[in-house]
Amino acid sequence: MTSLTPMVAELVDYYDDGEAARHFQFRLLDQQQWPPPEPGQFFMLSVPGAGEIPLTFTQLPDQNQHWWALVRRMGSVTSALFRLEPGAILGARGPFGRGWPRPGSDQTPVLLIAGGCGLAPLVSQAERLLEMNLGPVALIYGARSPEARVLGRERDRWQHKLALFEVIEQSPGQTARRTPLDALPDVLAHWGHEPGATFMCGPEAMMTALSQRLIERGIPPSSIWLSLERRMHCATGTCGHCYLSHRYVCQSGPTFGWPELELLMQQPVTTQTPPLLSC
Amino acid sequence: MIHYRLAELAELTRHLGRTRQVWQRSGAKEWCQADASNPPPLEAGRSVQSAKGFFFAEQEHIFEFDGRYFRETLPKPAPFALIGVSSCDLVAIAYQDQFFASDPHYQARRQQALLVGLECTVPCEHGFCPTVDAGPAARPGTSDLVLHPVGNGWLLTVTSEQGRKSLQGLNLTTAPEAMKQQRQAQLADCERQFPDDQHIRDGVQALNAGTVNASTWQQMGVQCLSCSGCTSLCPTCSCYGVQDQSADQTITRRRFWDSCLYDGFQREASQHNPSDDAGARVYRFWYHKFSDDFRKDFGRYGCVGCGRCEATCPGVIGIHSVMKRISQHD
Ligand SMILES: Cc1cc2nc3c(=O)[nH]c(=O)nc-3n(C[C@H](O)[C@H](O)[C@H](O)COP(=O)(O)OP(=O)(O)OC[C@H]3O[C@@H](n4cnc5c(N)ncnc54)[C@H](O)[C@@H]3O)c2cc1C
Ligand code: SF4
Ligand code: FES
Repeated sequence: MTSLTPMVAELVDYYDDGEAARHFQFRLLDQQQWPPPEPGQFFMLSVPGAGEIPLTFTQLPDQNQHWWALVRRMGSVTSALFRLEPGAILGARGPFGRGWPRPGSDQTPVLLIAGGCGLAPLVSQAERLLEMNLGPVALIYGARSPEARVLGRERDRWQHKLALFEVIEQSPGQTARRTPLDALPDVLAHWGHEPGATFMCGPEAMMTALSQRLIERGIPPSSIWLSLERRMHCATGTCGHCYLSHRYVCQSGPTFGWPELELLMQQPVTTQTPPLLSC
Repeated sequence: MIHYRLAELAELTRHLGRTRQVWQRSGAKEWCQADASNPPPLEAGRSVQSAKGFFFAEQEHIFEFDGRYFRETLPKPAPFALIGVSSCDLVAIAYQDQFFASDPHYQARRQQALLVGLECTVPCEHGFCPTVDAGPAARPGTSDLVLHPVGNGWLLTVTSEQGRKSLQGLNLTTAPEAMKQQRQAQLADCERQFPDDQHIRDGVQALNAGTVNASTWQQMGVQCLSCSGCTSLCPTCSCYGVQDQSADQTITRRRFWDSCLYDGFQREASQHNPSDDAGARVYRFWYHKFSDDFRKDFGRYGCVGCGRCEATCPGVIGIHSVMKRISQHD
């Protein structure tokens, strides 16, 4: 049985991290334990009275069941969370979903691409890659404005460990809109050859455009991985909200390989394309 | 399989009523708790509501939170029997048993239930259970007992071990061969009376072949009023939403039936909505019922042919209207 009732968790600490975004530390209380999560998996955070939302781990739970998550203030639940102080009692369930695959030594260099808060699910994957020391890692990070950038401490920490290409959509003195797509040629020129594995998270239209561009350049579709966002109310594959064709993103995702995702996204009726960067 | 002759339905209702609550359809329409001493008459045909709500509640509490602890509020129903579940609704329960296999709230109720099926002898309006392998004969493995009207009495068939045990202590006579033959003849006769279903067969084929164009779905999307009549009455629809409520010092989370046809069903906080298009939502509803992709996972289509969506839709997106449109039979 998969319970919809959370375990008791506590808000341990937080700091502001980008415009309307905060990095929170949580822990499970009462000696409860989670099975060890994988980078890219997520948990459901309950703010009692406000509701329950999916969040990704920016730092996976340690032996003491402490972990971190980066949250952007959006609507009712996230706003309620932003009003809380350390010591507040919350609920948490997880870990859920399918995490990022662990690349092999023949899959270098590794390219990470994030748009806005999409950087959050890539943090623990980046840490894993750096720890594995497989080969060069590059990160393209796109944000709406300099202030909208999140995870400043992580990006500072990675300064000399990976090649960071930041793209600001709109900044003073810059005429054209710039997205991670525009940085792609720079990164590929920097390495002199194609990535062996690509992991990305951001607005769906951005990810689709990037995947198509990479494939046009001859990069195998099976080496491209994406993390998808969907509205979620259960994370157990029963509420139906996160459907994507005949799959539920909470269980079959949130990470998908491009060939699988491309098939799932084929449907006779499609919705108009949202902007490339929105979060 | 054991077959009994049951002279009076009330015998069964009274017997089952000794050990469990008994719910029965009153006439063909509504489910009500039966007074075991004076049960209502039972008629075959489609009830307005299926038996879905007995297991997947229209709304229920998930937990209570007292400020420090979460207490799961699992239902603890006394054992109960549903008398008169039509064959299509039995198949729908078996389908939801698979879907909610790991859902503790659903299973807490389901494990207390005894299912007594009731086979139809005439097609119901809009029904097409034979097309989707869900009736009129009760399908194997979907019930505990099955009733079939023969003459002035009933043929009672035991279809599970639980069903067999439930009859212990009831003095029944074995049914004569003629009663069983009568049942077969009535079922065959019933099946023959179903109207032509070519539009459904062609519609399902077109849906799976992807030959229905976007504008057809979009036209139907415009005609969907998002009233959720079909998704509420459909015995296999299973979507739900959740909401927290505060009263005094206690916070309760409840879940309630939701509908994938509502425009905000998938809308995210960023306003990104993967199913913004009403046509896409109508397509997804029918894809969920009739796609071969889901059939691979569940071993059958998600539609049991009850016809409730057609009966309830104030617009034109019930099963027959949609299948006629997408199969170009209209
Ligand atoms: C797998 C996954 C991981 C995520 N990780 C992060 C993260 O690390 N950091 C972060 O800031 N955001 C993350 N999100 C998005 C985050 O869940 C939404 O921003 C959040 O649910 C908004 O809730 P709200 O109550 O503030 O907004 P409202 O618009 O008021 O939402 C109301 C309700 O709708 C649901 N909802 C709305 N938008 C979403 C959404 N995009 N996804 C799921 N449910 C939604 C929630 O149940 C919410 O309670 C993630 C989403 C998914 C699917
Ligand atoms: S789709 Fe319509 S006909 Fe099929 S099971 Fe649901 S309500 Fe009945
Ligand atoms: S979140 Fe409920 S089905 Fe995926």
